[in-house]
Amino acid sequence: MLGDLFNNFDMIMTILLRGAAVGSLFAIIAMSFNVVHNATGILNFAQGAIFMLGAFGAYLFANRVGFSIWIPMLVVVSLGIGLFTAAQGWLTLKPLRSSVEQNSWIISTMSVSVIIAAILTLNFGVFGNMVRGPVPRVELFGVRTPGAFLLAITAMFAWYFALRWFLKRTFHGLAISALSQDFDAARAAGLNVRHLQLLAFGISGVIAGSVGFMVAPMISVSPDAGLRYVLNGFVAAVVGGIGNNTGTLIGGPLVGIVAAFTAFYIGGAYQDLASLMLLVMILMFLPQGLFGRAAARRV
Amino acid sequence: MTASNTLVATQPRAAKARSFDSDRQQLWIAVVLLLITGVVPSFLGGSYWQHSFQLMNIYIAVTILQNFLFVDAGQKSFGQGVLLGLGAYGLAIASGIHGLHIGLGMLIGIGAATLGGLVFALPALRVQGFHLGFVTLSAAVVFPQLLLQLDDLTQGLNGISMPPHGLTDPLVLGIDGLTMLTTAMPIASLAFHYVMRNSRLGRRMRTAAESPEAARSLGISPGKMSSLAFLLAAIGTGICGLLFVPAVSFVTPQSFLMDVSFVFFFAVVVGGRGQLLGPIVGIWAVFTIPNILLVDLAEYKPLIYGFITLAVVILFPDGIVGTIEGVRSKRRQSGGGERAFHLTSLTRWLSNLRDHEVSADAPPIISLKGATKRFGSVVAVDHVDFDLRPGEIHGLVGANGSGKTSLLNILNGFSRMNEGSYRFAGRDVARASAPVIARLGLGRTFQTPRIFPSFSVWNNVRVGLDARDSALPDELAHILDEMRLDHENAKPALLSHGQRRLLEVVRVALKDSRVVLFDEPAAGLSQEEREEFSQLIYLLSRKLGTAVVLVEHDLDLVWSIADHITVLETGALIAQGTPKDLAGDPAVQHLFVGGEHANA
Amino acid sequence: MPMLEVRNLTAGYGDIPVVRDVSLSVDEGEILLIGGENGAGKSTLLRAISGFNAPASGSVTLSDRNITGLPPEISAREGLRLVLDNHRVFPELTVHDNLRLGQASGRADPDALARALEEIHAVFPILKEKRGQRARDLSGGQQQILALGQAFVARPKVLLCDEPSMGVAQMLLPPILAFLRKWAESGTAVIIVEQHLKVTQPYTDRALIISRGEVALECRSSDLNSRLEAWRRERMAEHA
Repeated sequence: MLGDLFNNFDMIMTILLRGAAVGSLFAIIAMSFNVVHNATGILNFAQGAIFMLGAFGAYLFANRVGFSIWIPMLVVVSLGIGLFTAAQGWLTLKPLRSSVEQNSWIISTMSVSVIIAAILTLNFGVFGNMVRGPVPRVELFGVRTPGAFLLAITAMFAWYFALRWFLKRTFHGLAISALSQDFDAARAAGLNVRHLQLLAFGISGVIAGSVGFMVAPMISVSPDAGLRYVLNGFVAAVVGGIGNNTGTLIGGPLVGIVAAFTAFYIGGAYQDLASLMLLVMILMFLPQGLFGRAAARRV
Repeated sequence: MTASNTLVATQPRAAKARSFDSDRQQLWIAVVLLLITGVVPSFLGGSYWQHSFQLMNIYIAVTILQNFLFVDAGQKSFGQGVLLGLGAYGLAIASGIHGLHIGLGMLIGIGAATLGGLVFALPALRVQGFHLGFVTLSAAVVFPQLLLQLDDLTQGLNGISMPPHGLTDPLVLGIDGLTMLTTAMPIASLAFHYVMRNSRLGRRMRTAAESPEAARSLGISPGKMSSLAFLLAAIGTGICGLLFVPAVSFVTPQSFLMDVSFVFFFAVVVGGRGQLLGPIVGIWAVFTIPNILLVDLAEYKPLIYGFITLAVVILFPDGIVGTIEGVRSKRRQSGGGERAFHLTSLTRWLSNLRDHEVSADAPPIISLKGATKRFGSVVAVDHVDFDLRPGEIHGLVGANGSGKTSLLNILNGFSRMNEGSYRFAGRDVARASAPVIARLGLGRTFQTPRIFPSFSVWNNVRVGLDARDSALPDELAHILDEMRLDHENAKPALLSHGQRRLLEVVRVALKDSRVVLFDEPAAGLSQEEREEFSQLIYLLSRKLGTAVVLVEHDLDLVWSIADHITVLETGALIAQGTPKDLAGDPAVQHLFVGGEHANA
Repeated sequence: MPMLEVRNLTAGYGDIPVVRDVSLSVDEGEILLIGGENGAGKSTLLRAISGFNAPASGSVTLSDRNITGLPPEISAREGLRLVLDNHRVFPELTVHDNLRLGQASGRADPDALARALEEIHAVFPILKEKRGQRARDLSGGQQQILALGQAFVARPKVLLCDEPSMGVAQMLLPPILAFLRKWAESGTAVIIVEQHLKVTQPYTDRALIISRGEVALECRSSDLNSRLEAWRRERMAEHA
């Protein structure tokens, strides 16, 4: 039994690493959800497609290149996607008035997601594309690991701390935090609500786009894959408690590792089913997530 | 009897609306359209068109059910394609592969779809909105993967071939059975939608969708309603799945990719959410027309329906039919005006009733002992004893944050006490849910009246009747008939706030509530409306024996009509007694402007 | 020329008219006290003036500029600052960051911020002591001081202050009111909505009582006690 475990040690490490790496992507998507959600109350269904835009950015502009081109391209593509997402936010936040119901943003962000995937399909076909990045393979715990895996995990922590710094230290970040903590008080204080919300959309785009660009070598770069990431990212956000960035650090890798084990022991096609079941279970029994925010401040 | 007849006849009546029921009109237009698109291709010949329109009509039927689910039950599902696929695969696997009897295969298909609906319905018991959107979207992504993966069962990518056998032989006038069935299915779905909408169950479903709180206070459990809606839609969609098999003679995972689910959802939005005709127009706009125009450019289809949907959501959020309908109904709007909704005949009827005698030693209908409610470290309600007798008007006053609303929420079951006992009409209801207490005979109103804009004024009243168990007195039935005639087509959008408030009171009175809780009912009422309101609750208590709890800031109003008054401060009961006794009580003075705090 | 002038304002939530036909004005350097029972419409009035709910009719003029119905973030930039009731601050931000956000309505100017902070710290040293703590860890009174401090940083022309006494220990009230008095005398027009009229009245110039959404009484603050007493006697006689 113990021997089995030792024989399997490498394999389990590989699965764990792979799960943690893919899970970091889910965590990052979840963080980009949270930025927008905290500022606007909206969950952007197009976040996965936006992530994929980043990956296609790498495919188009930074495939098989060295760091000297890769890094400037990363900056340009991320900022471009940030601008695009801010524009999407502007459309989404336009005063939508349906006489039937108020949540029109679900439909508009969903249709943007479909449009992005459709445009990518028209240009690149439905099949996955391979991207070669400049980060080499490394040896980790005796396992040869693609560099992009480490990049993904690093990116998760990097964005987590960057967001933390931004939201706590910069004036605009403080203003966005204020918006999510007390919307009315923020308006009374004269915060420019609409600009801050667009900024939040823009930042979420930069986060998702930059990571899509960086990890393109470890994912299948295909138009439809975006949906997979938006769904698993949502599960990660729900597990961690929607709006809670610290929760995503656990939620993301957890979802990733569950998916990786499912893929190994049952079959790759069952990964998303496992996430779906995890989602339903969490919603049924722990709707606030593992680290849900304490009940909103009573006034 | 004659007296009341003449009374009713002499009342000022709102300008009579031209009888205009847009639902019924849309229903007929839709049926005619469906018959044309269903049958005409058979006459023109050409199996390609015949086949295309059969498929379109199946899609329309699914979209109609989605429309019902989305608007009438308030459930957003991105996964209706999964249910369609379950129906189709259920039949194809059972009868196509294993050769089971076709009837049994059909049952299995419907059963599979129903099970799928159940999977959606379960989370709907707990969560709403975008959560459910993601669950159903995940299902739409996972389903085709599973179909491929479980190839022992589904024959994977090869699909299952199942020719339609006799269904394509012409029966009458060259029309074959399959054409008849695919034409009948959307018509039946539409009829189902129409009948549901005009039924008690349908109204209750929609009430739950529009205001879960109001629904619970009317004895409706919103979770059950949304689950039931999912199940009903799943069964219907499963039947569509059965028809899908002969319509294409061949099922593969490719037929049930997520795009199919998107088409149904987007068609509802583009056609016009909640409009009966919407799904037909919507499917034409996002599916049929792009299909015809882009025959050779199939890969552009998702782009087209994505853009159409985005444009519609931003430019015409009510959809194509909804926008046209909006313009039309604006021209025909009726039912506004100062006295559009008035209660003259109702109050007249009430005043003519004999007084409801309550013996002095009648047991209290509500008896609360030591009620305590904590939120974290905050004690919102602190060991409050509270008795309420039939026919009594009991004022509940106190500063903001003194625990009035928390106490009200305990009484109607919205929140549960941490400690204390609560008996309602002799039954222990300390752990009962709001719908259960509501069914025992408790009604309430809300700070903002819960009036449903999608209902006519009359249907807004009717929700109260729907929740009523006892029979209606003849004369009241007669008065309500008059009310129905006046308000059957009137939209509540034109009612003033005061009229909405009265409407809500009438609703809760018709529910035949033995106890009614009013939460700040007088806020925003004019002087005249305040008088009308206080007269109405006075009559309810004296003539029908309704017990009333009145949370109200207008102290003059409370002091003028309450039999007893309870004063709360920081969650605790600080004074209780008749208005007269309390007027001189130092503990109450600070509530009056200029009065001093007893402890200051 | 009053700094803030409100004419025939009717407003509420959705189409619920809570305040009807209210007119009032405040000059610079003056404090107007608005009193009334719970639910009389005092908070709604302030929220309508600052633009949280668009008035159904009437006008709001801020030193010559018509700001009727402008959203609150815009009127804040015009120089009208509402401090909401219930000592609302941003609970997860530090005291210092809360004060810093006072400049959100204008230009972020570190020198002006430093000067304003110096003045506030002189009056309320507690804000300096606790500058690194999260606002949610302060007491109700300290949060109220913080909320006022944040408004002070913005240097508004008009300050609307909704129930500064709510959730504040009695002994903290006089220094808060004295601070408001001094602030007003530096040239700001101030409206205080308050239920504790007896404590507040000495710090104010004029008073206005609202009942059922309408102006019931308007007088100099020094006459308020006697006018109210007379009115109250009348009502009590009715109920007794």
